[in-house]
Amino acid sequence: MTEIRASDSRGVFLEGVRVALTGPALYVAISLMGVGALARAAGFPVGAAALSTLLLWAGPAQVLFFGAGVAKTAPPAIALAVSLSSVRLLPMCLSVLPMLREKRTRLPTLFAAAHFIAVTVWAESLRRLPERAREERLPFFFGLAVTCMGLTTFSTALGFWLAGSLPGPLAAGMMMLSPIYFLATTSRAARSGADWLAIVVGVVLAPVMVTFVGGGFDLPALALIGGGGAWLLGFYARRIA
Amino acid sequence: MSLLSGDPTLHPYLALILFGFLPSEVWRALAVVVARRIDEESEVFLFVRSVATVLLVGVVVKIVLAPSKELALAPVWARAAAFAVGGAAFFAARRSVFAAVLAGEATIILAVWFWTR
Repeated sequence: MTEIRASDSRGVFLEGVRVALTGPALYVAISLMGVGALARAAGFPVGAAALSTLLLWAGPAQVLFFGAGVAKTAPPAIALAVSLSSVRLLPMCLSVLPMLREKRTRLPTLFAAAHFIAVTVWAESLRRLPERAREERLPFFFGLAVTCMGLTTFSTALGFWLAGSLPGPLAAGMMMLSPIYFLATTSRAARSGADWLAIVVGVVLAPVMVTFVGGGFDLPALALIGGGGAWLLGFYARRIA
Repeated sequence: MSLLSGDPTLHPYLALILFGFLPSEVWRALAVVVARRIDEESEVFLFVRSVATVLLVGVVVKIVLAPSKELALAPVWARAAAFAVGGAAFFAARRSVFAAVLAGEATIILAVWFWTR
């Protein structure tokens, strides 16, 4: 049975909204307030700050874009840096879209879904989608994703207006929120030894890569070597078992 | 050439679309095209899942090791302590994300408060 009624679908959408409001939407909204402050420092209007959340929906890319504005970097160099930082969206989308897709899912729907995928929505999807029936996944996903993005668009503007007025300890806490949340929710989503292996490999290898590779290539290099290695170890472990 | 040269009311938005949105979104669009061939049970899917997970850890490590100016207020041991306390709370509360966030945040806020007082 793949058909579900519109009313069920709305209920599942609202469940996604509710899950978002119990944490993920709040965490991502608070942690992207800094982007608004950065946009203001770069001389952008508040509309551009909010729009960057709607259009880019990728924290590091937004920070790079407005940070480059502050430093008056040449536009082609900005575009390259932004693009490199967003390569991670490729594996993130690739590991969510196959869970969302049904036989009859239309291409525009998948493009729309992909636009919402960034770390927060990716991590929550990995955790919540497998336990839902396939036909419930898309409405649930959109409820979750739209709420996260909507609240964050508002908070980016709020960050623009509040720029510089937050006391030091709270400002530091705000910047630390997403790293702690990202790591916790990804550990929560871990379902197999392979997932834990990827997390451990990342923790061990990332400081090395960030220190020695730099220049925007550190994360792509880490992903291929670390991710590939973790997968290969898991692959042989499954063979032996 | 500055991003803000020319018509100041329109250029920020144009720059955002040309140098922000397009170079970033191209990866999502590519994923939609490629994902049509990937099955949820396949080894390729498990591979990209590993890659994405390691990347996420990389993003986290980068934020902590190359901190923004707000986070740089906290010395590196305080940032490490926030993860240690958050991680301990996570497992103590039976893998609770909320407990990890609460404990980690309390640690970093208190540490910066003591350090900069």
